[in-house]
Amino acid sequence: MQPFAYVRPATLSEALTLLDEHGPDASLLAGGTDLVVALRNRTLRPKVVIDLKRVAELRPSISDEEGWTTINATSVLTDISEDQRIRARYPALVDAAVTVGSAQIRNRATLTGNICHASPAADTAPALLVYGAIANVASVRGTSRVNLAEFFVGPRQTVLQPGELVTSIALPADATPRGATFVRITRRRGVDLATISLCCMVEATGRTQFAFGAVGPRPFLVADESGLLADLDVGDAAKDEVLRRLLTQASPISDVRGSREYREAMLLVMSRRALRLSIARLAAA
Amino acid sequence: MRIHVTVNGAERDLEVAPNTTLLDFLRDDLRLTGSKECCDLGECGACTVLVDGRSVNSCLMLAVEADASEVTTIEGLAKDGRLNPLQDAFLAKGAVQCGFCIPGQVMAGQYLLQRNPHPTLAEVREGLSGNLCRCGGYVQICEAVLAASEVGR
Amino acid sequence: MSIGTSERRSGGHARVTGSQKFVADIGLEQMLHVRLVHLNCGHARIVSIDTAQALAVPGVVSVLTAAELPQPMPRYGPVFNDRPVLAVGETKYHGQPVAAVAAESKEVAEAAAELVRVQHEELPGVFTVAAALDPASPLVQEPELRPNDPLNHTNVLSERRFGWGDVESARADLVVENVYTFPMITHFAIEPHAFIAAAEDDGVAVWTPTQNPFQMQRILATVLGLPVAKVRVHALDPGGAFGGKQHPKYEPLVALLALRTGRPVRLVLTLEETFQEVRRTSCEIRARTGFNRDGTISFQDIQSDFLMGAYADIAERVIDKSNYLGCGPYRVPNSRTVVRALFSHTTPSTAFRGFGTPQVSWAHESQMDDAARKLGIDRVEIRLRNLAGKGEAFLPGDTPADGDWAVSVRKAADAIGWGTALSPGRGRGLAVAVKAGATTGASYSIVRLHWDGSATVLAGTSDMGQGARTVLAQVAAHELGIPHEWITIVMGDTATVPFDLQTSASRSTVFMGQAVMRACQDIKAQLKQMAAELHAPDAPVVELLRARFSAVRGEVIGVGSYRGEYQPEHPLGGAPSFYEFTCTASEVEVDEGTGEMLLVRHVTVADVGKALNPQHVEMQDEGAAVMGLGHTLMEHILLDDSGRIRNLGALDYRIPTTKDLPLEMHSLLVENADGPGPYGSKGAGEGGLMATAPAVASAVTEATGVVIRDLPLTPERVWLAINEKDA
Repeated sequence: MQPFAYVRPATLSEALTLLDEHGPDASLLAGGTDLVVALRNRTLRPKVVIDLKRVAELRPSISDEEGWTTINATSVLTDISEDQRIRARYPALVDAAVTVGSAQIRNRATLTGNICHASPAADTAPALLVYGAIANVASVRGTSRVNLAEFFVGPRQTVLQPGELVTSIALPADATPRGATFVRITRRRGVDLATISLCCMVEATGRTQFAFGAVGPRPFLVADESGLLADLDVGDAAKDEVLRRLLTQASPISDVRGSREYREAMLLVMSRRALRLSIARLAAA
Repeated sequence: MRIHVTVNGAERDLEVAPNTTLLDFLRDDLRLTGSKECCDLGECGACTVLVDGRSVNSCLMLAVEADASEVTTIEGLAKDGRLNPLQDAFLAKGAVQCGFCIPGQVMAGQYLLQRNPHPTLAEVREGLSGNLCRCGGYVQICEAVLAASEVGR
Repeated sequence: MSIGTSERRSGGHARVTGSQKFVADIGLEQMLHVRLVHLNCGHARIVSIDTAQALAVPGVVSVLTAAELPQPMPRYGPVFNDRPVLAVGETKYHGQPVAAVAAESKEVAEAAAELVRVQHEELPGVFTVAAALDPASPLVQEPELRPNDPLNHTNVLSERRFGWGDVESARADLVVENVYTFPMITHFAIEPHAFIAAAEDDGVAVWTPTQNPFQMQRILATVLGLPVAKVRVHALDPGGAFGGKQHPKYEPLVALLALRTGRPVRLVLTLEETFQEVRRTSCEIRARTGFNRDGTISFQDIQSDFLMGAYADIAERVIDKSNYLGCGPYRVPNSRTVVRALFSHTTPSTAFRGFGTPQVSWAHESQMDDAARKLGIDRVEIRLRNLAGKGEAFLPGDTPADGDWAVSVRKAADAIGWGTALSPGRGRGLAVAVKAGATTGASYSIVRLHWDGSATVLAGTSDMGQGARTVLAQVAAHELGIPHEWITIVMGDTATVPFDLQTSASRSTVFMGQAVMRACQDIKAQLKQMAAELHAPDAPVVELLRARFSAVRGEVIGVGSYRGEYQPEHPLGGAPSFYEFTCTASEVEVDEGTGEMLLVRHVTVADVGKALNPQHVEMQDEGAAVMGLGHTLMEHILLDDSGRIRNLGALDYRIPTTKDLPLEMHSLLVENADGPGPYGSKGAGEGGLMATAPAVASAVTEATGVVIRDLPLTPERVWLAINEKDA
């Protein structure tokens, strides 16, 4: 690891000022489970590391605000997956969060970090996408909210501009009845990076959404508004046709985790399974 | 940067460079070499310690992040030379082979039992899945955690 | 008494409290830290190395390249002296060190290593069996290194043929012919390799987690031009070895650096560098097997090509040992096994638990299944019809079968529920394997019975997790009639302990066990003499010692040895002292949609003669099974077109975790006290992984109808096979 300065701002404005001053020379530190690896591998060589864990406004918290469930930037995955509100409202997010690394990783890794790292295979991204999450963004110039569907640009790239950071992730708290399922394919049963991952949500209105990970440069969201996928009376062949259409946006590549062909095939297999499970969960809801 | 940490109950006030991991700080500066270095990625769990009661991979934390925290390492479990029930169960169940992963396994098991004093086998397998053992002693390691959970029941 | 009981591990207390010292835990005064410099490509010509910038970094003490080393470049290896201390002229595999930086701290060494400028030109390389055999491919090894070898202008190190009978004219009702591949896999000991060296008086001391301190001492003495007595090897308990720490790696480099700088020098590899340093030999095996209608084997005709790395290391012996028992534990009237050891521009392959047996059993066991299916014979039954009976010379002229192997097979079949109804999507498989145990070489032990009745046992074995320290203490306790807790075992310091050939081939219980036993018997003979002289034939040992030594103290020293004679005409240099026989049975459930597999139940049976410590035997056999599940289900080193390892590191080279365990695992033992070791014991601890792959693959075939002949059985590979069948 190369030498760097370590700063620990106490307030958000301090943090934003530091980020503004140091620009591309600064790296933000929340849980550190991705950052420290990058520092050690020297793929990142910041001059300044800004630790956000002591920023008063960013302290771990999960709160209800004006119809949104807001998860602060330094909330770790263990706390998120154990929170009763999150478990009741966003079970598929919990299913995704508990697949991220090991207990040790989840005790440090933050949801916001998982999103800002912008790995195409980020496990929490598909669930956040189907639940309609937004990112609250701040900079010295002010605040904004970005729909997560517009947040990811490419591998390790987001819409965040220099000087901006995500202060929290918020999910709509009120929702029509729905059933959602997160599934993925991995090389082993223990801790692993996804070969593909996806989240399916079926709403009582018949609207069905899918979000996919590890099958393109960025996680992405697609929807079937026809109601056909959610319809119990529609046969598998007709549903497959819709699923295949939704999957045309996927552009998986071959890498050490799997071939393009396997990923393409698994997208359909796992989409079918997730759809069936989501319909069952909607019925049970 | 100067940090103040409590390690295995002892308060320490030390100067540490920001580019030092907690693992290096423990091993090189405090000479607590029980925590082991293997993958340096958070994949193997050999460096597992407790920070403020939570298990973490100490290779993925900067030492400066531990400022004002309480750290427990494998060296902090036995009291007055007496093994704690989990350490003892590891020996009784034959969970120790080469021993290199064992400090991390014990710390992961310790954390699991703190959170869930009477886990099922499936919960133990889940809770220890971030700790690799190449000797393959998983069956005995899981048995040891279950046996320790029965101590004092 | 102590024998046959599950005593707690000697050294266990230190291992659960974190006080066990591994090499990386040792700190010496004034120690320098070393970082290696390597290129991110496979085969490359080194044009120039510029160390000026690195040397200018404050805190850098030395930057070593081939140019600074003695000329000609010292080369070493367990059999062939072909591995240079640093790359000279070219790098022959991804990660071969071209320079080494020694500095005051590891941070400085790391930063300076980045500043060593190596101009290089990437060259085409040999990364596959096909390329190694292609006359148009580049030569991996310089012909000058094997001047008298007629094959020195090829990438073939050796070609060996074994066999008996007449394969060409053997009659068969069914001939099955298939090709099997076994991937490159890496040892992945959780302890990355670590080395420390320090100049000491007029010699050198080296701390290394080696399984083989005396070979290390010999090779270092040769490289450094020192008498053996001036090289002291501190062989600390390895944090997992599995064969990967058997032969010298970077010890000569750190020793040379220590002598050059006059400072203690420490090199701790990253896990990635460890992957680039050691691996298992991969192979392609073409098997043609003739069967009679009743399932008995008529002939076995096997052609194997093993892909070694850039240097021979011990790979040739791995390959020979594999090929020698290429027919498995079966009665085969006609056999022809031919094997080639091939060089490639890849990580040097070395010893790895099972030593070539998992590769060849993958072939011979899958052939048995193929025949069983085609002949309509039960897969367990066909094995029982062919297994060598106890005492049968299944290898003509060599050690006969030393166990009742059918007992193990029946035990495994019972435990897995062979023949009972299966749930949908499930299948079962069973496979056997046999490995030639240790052949030649000596083990010596000195036992010191102290005046108070306690004892110190000196043994050059390495305790790498198998529990040698525990078992040797049990042997000594039993023989001397003193409590286990009164015994201290001293290992791993060549200045203290007497010679032992090596800790490998499951030899320690048999060879060192016998040496310790004989040293104790030597003591007992002296005690008997002492009792006679003191006219106290029935006196307890402690009283005898007090009476004999009185206030001036003293001790009784016993010496014991055990050796397997070297037989130059024997294909292995000597007859196997025992066979390690294993039977594995597995039940799996396959998800046909995704190819994912759930292991429902997994059973291993080991014929160990006598379990001196049943818990230790079971944990090792079960551990071996878990390791076997790794190469069966998920492990393989993947190379790109330039020979770079694509899945370098723990993130993308996956090994089993707790969640990958079978739902149920059982390790069963067969004990007939028919081994050559103490109390009838045989070597153990490798068996559990030798037949994993064919057992699991057979279960997959029963579950899905597809036959897979390439490992590992990844979800993708299983899915692909199912998909192709359906298409």
